[in-house]
Amino acid sequence: MTLLSVRDLSLSYPLPRRSWRRSAPVRALHGLSFEMGEGERVGLVGMSGSGKSSLLRCLLAMEPAATGQVLLRGRPVAAGSVAALRWYRRAVQYVPQDPIASLEPRMTVAQSVAEPLLRLRVDCDPMRRAEEALESVGLDHRFLRRRPDELSGGQAQRVAIARAIATRPSLLLTDEPVSGLDMTSRVQVVEVLRHLSEVHGTAILMVSHDISVVAGLCRRAMVMDGGRIVEDRPVAAMLRDPHHPHTSELLNAAPPMTAAA
Amino acid sequence: MIRTLDRLIPALSRGVTLAAVMVLIAMLPWISGRDPALSILRARMGDQDATPEALAAIRDKLGLAAGPVQHMRDWITGLLQGDWGTSWISGAPVLAGTLKALLVSLTLMSAAFGVAVVAAILLAWPTMRRGLRGRDTHSAGAVAAILTAMPEFTLSALFLVVFSVWLAWFPPYGWGSAGHIVLPALALGLPGGGLLGRLLTNAIAATFHERWIATWAVAGFTRGQIARAVLRRSLPALMPQIGMIVVAMTGGAIAVEQVFSIPGLGRAVLGAASAQDLPALQAGILILLVNALAIGVTVNLIRVGLLGRALQMRALPVPQIASPPPSGRLWLVPVVVLILLAALVMAGLPRDAYSSQFIRLQPPGLALPLGADGLGRDVLARIAHGAVSTIGMAAFVTLISLVVGLGIGLMPRIAIGLIEVTKATPPTIAALIVVAAMGPSALGAVIAVSAVAWAPLAAHTAALVSEARAQPHVRIAPILGVGPLRLIPRSILPAVFGPVLRHAMLRLPGNALALAGLGFLGLGARPPAPEWGLILADALPYVERAPLSVLTPVAALALMSVLGVSLASLSRCHFSISLHIWKKYMKNPDNIAFNFNVLSRVCKRFGS
Ligand SMILES: Nc1ncnc2c1ncn2[C@@H]1O[C@H](COP(=O)(O)OP(=O)(O)OP(=O)(O)O)[C@@H](O)[C@H]1O
Ligand SMILES: [Mg+2]
Repeated sequence: MTLLSVRDLSLSYPLPRRSWRRSAPVRALHGLSFEMGEGERVGLVGMSGSGKSSLLRCLLAMEPAATGQVLLRGRPVAAGSVAALRWYRRAVQYVPQDPIASLEPRMTVAQSVAEPLLRLRVDCDPMRRAEEALESVGLDHRFLRRRPDELSGGQAQRVAIARAIATRPSLLLTDEPVSGLDMTSRVQVVEVLRHLSEVHGTAILMVSHDISVVAGLCRRAMVMDGGRIVEDRPVAAMLRDPHHPHTSELLNAAPPMTAAA
Repeated sequence: MIRTLDRLIPALSRGVTLAAVMVLIAMLPWISGRDPALSILRARMGDQDATPEALAAIRDKLGLAAGPVQHMRDWITGLLQGDWGTSWISGAPVLAGTLKALLVSLTLMSAAFGVAVVAAILLAWPTMRRGLRGRDTHSAGAVAAILTAMPEFTLSALFLVVFSVWLAWFPPYGWGSAGHIVLPALALGLPGGGLLGRLLTNAIAATFHERWIATWAVAGFTRGQIARAVLRRSLPALMPQIGMIVVAMTGGAIAVEQVFSIPGLGRAVLGAASAQDLPALQAGILILLVNALAIGVTVNLIRVGLLGRALQMRALPVPQIASPPPSGRLWLVPVVVLILLAALVMAGLPRDAYSSQFIRLQPPGLALPLGADGLGRDVLARIAHGAVSTIGMAAFVTLISLVVGLGIGLMPRIAIGLIEVTKATPPTIAALIVVAAMGPSALGAVIAVSAVAWAPLAAHTAALVSEARAQPHVRIAPILGVGPLRLIPRSILPAVFGPVLRHAMLRLPGNALALAGLGFLGLGARPPAPEWGLILADALPYVERAPLSVLTPVAALALMSVLGVSLASLSRCHFSISLHIWKKYMKNPDNIAFNFNVLSRVCKRFGS
């Protein structure tokens, strides 16, 4: 069954005005379309500046699209007020790239994880649910009262994941979730994501410019270039026989050891 | 569509603010609640009774009968046609007199600006020379800054005593000969010059730390060429401050003209305020404001011209102005000043500040440590009581400006016009408007100083808010369902409050000086209140017979400015550098390499 469908999505950023002349806006997305099924794990790779983060911002309804539509189980989504988007936020959550900076430094781990439950009006006992979420990413009750500056990078990323899955979303969007971590933490975090997806049936769309990380988690990958999706195939096939020149470049940049997964 | 509107908000905000100021000035006669017809009758036809018929006749003649809105429209169309109204006192058109006075003021301000530039060059010269010879450059010394950070009216009084009364080098009052302009120009120019010199020194020092200097020196450029390039690089960063300094001069000029009896715009406006001659006051306030705004715009244009297109493209990093080095002794200054002030208050507070129990101008003695004033009152007691009330009022102003500044700084785009116009308004001009509306009083002075003191705090808040909004944990908030309103207590206020509170506290001495300045000009506390500015103003007529009675309040005010300057420079070093870098980077072991870099750079800069 289709979970998310994206149709003909384009986005442009206005540039700040220079002197008296207006400059043309930057087009970051050029009418791209794709679909994701329930529980599917998809990797999104591409060179720097290809528009991966822009696509995620559109999918998170943080940026009004110039044209096109995003539909979650057939229901259209548009950037709007916090209240109007609560239903969507409960179903689609986000794991950011820089976990320590994305946690409010004045809030404890427990408060951070419980915050979306309270703000998005999820019907549950927030503290219980927060503890559960933390347990499922492998953090026990000793972490509840810590603050972000008392966590390692990998622990903070697991807190960020716990915060994202606390609302039991159907889709997790994540932008470079492991690029700031060391090798051991990377493996741990990818394992946590895979485990969650398998147990709860959560779909994952993961951005990375490291195709080996994608290969470790996803069966399907999409390659972006210049605001378009230029290749959308199973990872294994892509690794064996890249179609688009950019895909081969990305493969050559990846360290060979993880490419086997 | 929404984006276009969004871009227009700052322009709209500026336009609306200017329009509001115009309306405020136009409506002054009505806001004051005083019947203008009555004032005119008193001033011009003292013998005539205030019969209803006589009043109605005057109202008719002025076009006041039509009501406030019609009058406002007439006033504004009159402005455009060159008819700025007629004085309620003399009956003469106000525009001609105002322009004549403006010419005098502009002459004074040009001379003062010349003084400021010369002072700044003298202060920055040693640093430039060291830099050109390839030696390490230092930031400006604190002593020069402290000496020149005194408010203009205090400096004027000091110069009057020293150079006119004791040394008799220059005439004490008046206008017309070359000798008349020296002391006022020095009094008006030196405070700004000291500040400018310090900023220029620091900017030059920062520029000499940039890489291209070494490259140029190796490439064989002459010292003259390098000096010119260094100045061209350093000056643009200073332009906003130069603008603020010149704007402050328009306020300072009012006090200086008052002390030296110069027939300039400031004195004319003060006269109009005390006579409640509202048309003259309106014209004067308007010209002062236009003057200040014109300076702001000009300075900005010069800045853009200096940096060229690079600034518009945001391609050129403007050099950051380094703070002066922290040293152990710097703590000493504010502590000593605070102890002195406390001792003064302790000694004088139990004494009687109001009754005239001594001989007029009685010289100091054992029973009367600081002598008596022109009415035979105990100066020590008055200074001590004045310290308490001035500092108390300044604390109140600080609190109000903190709250208002935080509130307005949270919505900087909407309020940008208000912030800019307020920053270009010296407290004296604000006080003139307040006095026109409600007459002079201590409360009015508090309102006037509060009305402008919030602007720097709002600008600071706005800068911190945009910094906080760029933080990842704030940008992610909408995804977690945290709306813009809840964001303020959750993330914005906690990030902003501490630094802005410290900034507000640092401005307390400055606020006290501004209040005293208004008292001095007769725009604040009324006699017999023992207010520092008022004490100084009361003593000035006796400057030739009893110079000490002038020097005592001058010394107290100087102590206050030393406190302000030393606290400010102290905090800039302490808070922004050590704490910030330490906290932010030492926590994460990944940053150790970076820490070494930062620390070694910091140590090198501060020469330790
Ligand atoms: N706020 C913005 N304003 C203007 N242009 C932007 C903005 N954000 C992104 N862009 C531009 O949009 C294009 C796509 O950027 P995007 O951040 O989506 O790339 P990316 O694929 O995420 O790159 P990276 O791998 O480096 O994160 C780039 O050309 C970028 O310069
Ligand atoms: Mg990106």
